[in-house]
Amino acid sequence: METQQGEARTGAIRTIVVVGGGSAGWIAAARLAARHARGTDDIVVKLVESSTVPTIGVGEGTWPTMRNTLAKIGIGETDFLRSCDAAFKQGAQFVGWKDGSPGDAYYHPLNPPAGATEVNLSPHWQHLAGAAPDRAFADWADFQAALCDAGLAPKTITAPEYGGVANYAYHLDAGKFATLLRDHAVGRLGVEHIVADVTGVTMADNGDIARLELADGGSVAGDLFVDCTGFAALLIGKVYDVPFRSCRDVLFADRAIAMQVPYAEEDAPITSHTVSTAQDAGWIWDIGLWARRGTGYVYSSAHIDDDAAEAALRAYVGPAAEQLSARRITIEAGHRERFWQNNCVAVGLSAGFLEPLEASALMLIEASMDAIADRLPRTRAAMDTAARQFNESFTHHWARIIEFLKLHYAITKRVDTAFWRDNAAARSIPDSLKERLALWREHPPAPQDFAHAREVFSWPSYQYVLHGMGFETHYPAIAATTPDAAIARRWTGRIERMRADAVAQMPRNRDLLRAIREHGLQAV
Amino acid sequence: MLDPMRHHALHSDAMAGAAARQFVQIGLSEIALAAADMPLCLVKDAQTGRFTLIALLGLIEPRNLFWHDGEMRATYLPRAASLTGFRLDAAGAGGLAVDEADPAMGARGEALFAADRSPAPILADIRAGLERIVADIAAAQALIDDYARLRVIRPLSITLQLSDGREHVVAGLYGLDEEALAALDDATVVALHRADQLAPAAVMAASLAQVERLRQLHNATHARQIAAYQIAFTD
Ligand SMILES: Cc1cc2nc3c(=O)[nH]c(=O)nc-3n(C[C@H](O)[C@H](O)[C@H](O)COP(=O)(O)OP(=O)(O)OC[C@H]3O[C@@H](n4cnc5c(N)ncnc54)[C@H](O)[C@@H]3O)c2cc1C
Repeated sequence: METQQGEARTGAIRTIVVVGGGSAGWIAAARLAARHARGTDDIVVKLVESSTVPTIGVGEGTWPTMRNTLAKIGIGETDFLRSCDAAFKQGAQFVGWKDGSPGDAYYHPLNPPAGATEVNLSPHWQHLAGAAPDRAFADWADFQAALCDAGLAPKTITAPEYGGVANYAYHLDAGKFATLLRDHAVGRLGVEHIVADVTGVTMADNGDIARLELADGGSVAGDLFVDCTGFAALLIGKVYDVPFRSCRDVLFADRAIAMQVPYAEEDAPITSHTVSTAQDAGWIWDIGLWARRGTGYVYSSAHIDDDAAEAALRAYVGPAAEQLSARRITIEAGHRERFWQNNCVAVGLSAGFLEPLEASALMLIEASMDAIADRLPRTRAAMDTAARQFNESFTHHWARIIEFLKLHYAITKRVDTAFWRDNAAARSIPDSLKERLALWREHPPAPQDFAHAREVFSWPSYQYVLHGMGFETHYPAIAATTPDAAIARRWTGRIERMRADAVAQMPRNRDLLRAIREHGLQAV
Repeated sequence: MLDPMRHHALHSDAMAGAAARQFVQIGLSEIALAAADMPLCLVKDAQTGRFTLIALLGLIEPRNLFWHDGEMRATYLPRAASLTGFRLDAAGAGGLAVDEADPAMGARGEALFAADRSPAPILADIRAGLERIVADIAAAQALIDDYARLRVIRPLSITLQLSDGREHVVAGLYGLDEEALAALDDATVVALHRADQLAPAAVMAASLAQVERLRQLHNATHARQIAAYQIAFTD
């Protein structure tokens, strides 16, 4: 404290150190730097990553939130699509989850049911579907399923960057994504990049981390540390020993085998949704990128051994798999009891992991960074409040995601293997989900069922999964003469027209991506 | 491609093609001239998504409001308006290709071939005209690409209030945002000025006043009047 000025700044948050250079680390650094560096608050962002510990290298399905995140970071959609081999994703299709019979498949599209702010279409569908039992809810209540079925894009070349006719997210190459973020964060946003292994930390008297000690003998001091060290959980786990709350009793998957599959021919269609196909002891993801597909089997080792799982993945991929290698990954379902401890906040796999059934991991990283970057505590004194708020809301989010993922399993009618029977067993279903399921037999999922203003999965997602899974409901009949029924009819008419227009106007997913690679999208 | 065997009897009524157009593409050298009559805007090319510079000729229907009684009632006739049916094509007769479906093509107007099926002299004129337009449009394209790069282009909507109480929005148009232009840093403004790119921007922005001219032309020939309109940048 040499000068008065120095004293006045005591406790100011000036240097933020991100540890880890996977998707989480680079999203964190770029988001913080785009928001704060070079601004009036004069914040410095540093990122330390090991050159010896590899990144997880998977995580290729995103949420529509990624469009906002990229725009906030200052990366144009054209640059992103080109450099990450990215493709458009309009939702997920769940194959074989309901009962495993031939043709068993449903969509969870990214568009909410049409007219969502005016009318809840779910009870209307239940009554009208009685007359046309083949009409799936997702297809009846919105036009996006039709685009997915036809392999069409969510927009045309004349749409602006990040804008579209239908809601959309991306499939991306995780390695290329981290590289793009790194180049942008370091080259454009002034993030200081340090390549070194973190071997320890020096603690301050108040229990904060004062600095990181590096293998090369150096050290990095900071005011706030963002732990993005993946499953290593270097700071939140090894330094602070914040307990890990497992949820294996609810979500059984503890292994994944990943395989990258080239397209059979250059012009092969690119599926514009993630396909998740149920297996004996888990499910296989199938994600279409520009230059290849990413596939992988997520399974429970208590229900199948690794070799049998790999054989199942190879059988799914077909003859092409003979030339391809598979990568085995051990995963553990659950999350930290707290995410923000002292001046350290965990983001990404260090905070926790859940099977990628609804691609929620990158979204949680984005949501975490929204909360941290947009409400960055300016002083150490303000940090404890920020930490308390953060821990509270993210504990809620994790619980809600676990419940929503479990929903996909809990109401299955599959009884063919122990995995599916165990999944539907009452002891594996959280009480809160049981309670809601009872409620949703009588009432369609509605905004009132969700306490937080911003729920990660809200009533539209629940409707798509419940109705897609054929959950039996007994919603009270709505008389055709009510205003609500009139609004529903107006919307169903509109959906028909929107569907016809969209199917006629949208290009094939690959054709649009090719046009964008060639001509680019305009900013407006 | 233009083929003497197939097209020997074809005639071109140059102006007929212009009658059915709601807008026409213009080149760099035409900006100041066309602005004397028409609003100049940008539209996106359906194949590439790139902005192209156009003169707006109509508001509601896909037709040219300046076209009246078989003639163009404007002080300036955009060059491309009289060549709608032709494209350059090195493989075709006279170096041309024709769009047989274009309203300019048919049994009326000037013959494209002589009786012995040799190219009529008009083909050389058409080709020279097209070559000039193509170069001029490429120059406009370079200008517009620069505007796009500087992010001074914004979506523009023209909302028309009709006498029957309805509203019609002319969608898919883009314009130069003068506020965004004014916010450019000094060095960029000087660079634009030295490259002769600032004046066209001012002319284009000012030309939007010609929407009033289109309204008057519309109201002179349509029962359903345009009572009022708003021009606004959206997004
Ligand atoms: C099988 C599988 C499928 C998935 N699918 C999806 C999906 O579809 N959608 C989705 O959103 N998410 C998915 N995820 C999750 C997603 O992959 C991760 O959330 C995301 O990649 C972020 O990882 P990370 O950056 O936290 O960790 P990592 O990528 O593991 O990065 C950790 C970083 O920390 C560094 N590090 C570690 N120790 C040290 C040290 N001592 N010193 C310095 N640096 C160190 C490493 O070098 C590395 O840079 C999936 C995950 C798995 C396992």
